[in-house]
Amino acid sequence: MTDAHGQAGVHVSGLRKTFFPGTVQEKAALNGVDLDLAAGEFGIVIGSNGSGKSTTLNAISGELQLDAGKVVVAGQDMSRLPAHKRAHFMARVFQDPMQGTAASLTIEENLAIAARRGSARGFRMGLKRTERDGFRAALEVLGLGLENRLSDRVALLSGGQRQSLTLVMATLKAPPLLLLDEHTAALDPRAAELVLGATLQAVAGRNITTLMITHNMEQAITHGDRLIMMHDGRVILNLDRTEKASVTAADLVARFHDAVSDRMLLN
Amino acid sequence: MIDVLNTYFNLIPVSLAQGGVYAFVALGVMIPFRLLSLPDLTAEGSFPLGGAVAAAMLAGGSGIVPAILAAILAGALAGCLTALIHLAFKVTSLLAGIIVLTMLFSINIRVMGKPNTALFSHDTLFTAFLGPDGGAPLTQFALLAVLLLIVCGALHWFLLTELGLGLRAVGSNQMMARAHGLSTRAFVIAGLGLAGCLAALGGATMSQYQSYADVNMGVGVLVIGLAGTILGEAILGRDSLLRQIAAPVVGSLFYFQFVAMALSLGFKPSDLKLLTGLFVLAALGAPILKARLDKHAGPSRP
Repeated sequence: MTDAHGQAGVHVSGLRKTFFPGTVQEKAALNGVDLDLAAGEFGIVIGSNGSGKSTTLNAISGELQLDAGKVVVAGQDMSRLPAHKRAHFMARVFQDPMQGTAASLTIEENLAIAARRGSARGFRMGLKRTERDGFRAALEVLGLGLENRLSDRVALLSGGQRQSLTLVMATLKAPPLLLLDEHTAALDPRAAELVLGATLQAVAGRNITTLMITHNMEQAITHGDRLIMMHDGRVILNLDRTEKASVTAADLVARFHDAVSDRMLLN
Repeated sequence: MIDVLNTYFNLIPVSLAQGGVYAFVALGVMIPFRLLSLPDLTAEGSFPLGGAVAAAMLAGGSGIVPAILAAILAGALAGCLTALIHLAFKVTSLLAGIIVLTMLFSINIRVMGKPNTALFSHDTLFTAFLGPDGGAPLTQFALLAVLLLIVCGALHWFLLTELGLGLRAVGSNQMMARAHGLSTRAFVIAGLGLAGCLAALGGATMSQYQSYADVNMGVGVLVIGLAGTILGEAILGRDSLLRQIAAPVVGSLFYFQFVAMALSLGFKPSDLKLLTGLFVLAALGAPILKARLDKHAGPSRP
């Protein structure tokens, strides 16, 4: 077993990012974010709007250029890699269900692209007939009937169906790291529950290190191995499994207010 | 009325051959607009570039195949240049294309050494296959149809490969593409390069078809390609990759039938650009007008 300071897992240190530096809109979004997840650990990030949760995820995925800081995934330094190269080490599900899939391609074409995440593309067929059984099996788990609609264009699917498909795509080929950016927030309650259930099922027992952002305190307490609270571009609370077992939503709110007032006194 | 029909009937073979020539450009216009979702005007410059390169090489005594291959390569470079300007300088693809096609005007004259090149005394694709007179319009059309089948087949095969699927993913959703390890920049460069190949192939075919290359031969070619694409999509739909690829070709053939009809009705050739523009406008505006009409019709009252 590798612990949080070993090679595997995710190690994020000293992330700093200021948007619009030197202008009136200047905003320090990340003020030194440190975060470690052991291999296979499921971390859940909570925090108010503008606390830097999504910015942290975008910094890890490479969509955002950092001012300073280091991101190490599965022993590899990500700092100099563009987003598409980091895709070898991580998969992502976005808040907006439209962002995770290619609408004009079919369900099976989307899955075929996901099945090749992390491998070099060439002039081989982009979708092989033999892959379909695997795709069907992966979709069947959702119970949405998508396994019978492989050749339908994704544009025909509802938001919940698209998000479920995005999740299947993200976990089809087990990534070392899975990033979930409030991926159930834009869905209706039933679809949100389905996608969350599918998420837990997809990562269970597969040693996929997961970092999930949520606004839902109950979700954060009930699930996951680690609870991380962010505020003002910093991690202000980091509870492991045993610490988090005894915590309640009311505790978290109290800790949040403490942290906010401490911060204000310090400033 | 009989006269009009008679005139049109006589124009059918020529208009089919013309449609076949312009079908290559229409394919080159469809790729950026439809597959990459990146509007690009470079065809207006890469079409005459292909025509100029092929004509200059044929006039210089080169073989037909090397001349066409050189034209395709030149078109690829023009397309890649537009993509590089768009990506490196963060200018819109439209503006990048306008800059490239403007620069190509000078380059095309440099390539030919003068604003035009005649090929009447040289072998071309058409004289090589169809005899010294270059063939009758219908046999020319048959030759073009074979070439178009080969090009469409190759394009269809490519778009089904891992790289082709990647290209289509980049055109559909760049965020999704990056998240799955596809370099959006590389695919935009390659995609516009491919579009440039097809536009230049169209130009090379055109200069051999008319035995003449002219620096102004690209004027209006983008809108013709767009009109062909839209018309073909109206006929075939866009439900499958095959239909999306066939649409510009079929549309281009039909478009030149409408051109022939317009000419039979007494319109002047110089009116055609206006008519084409109006057609494209109508095609672009129809969905919006329809939506507005539907909205005004509103929910029916009880």
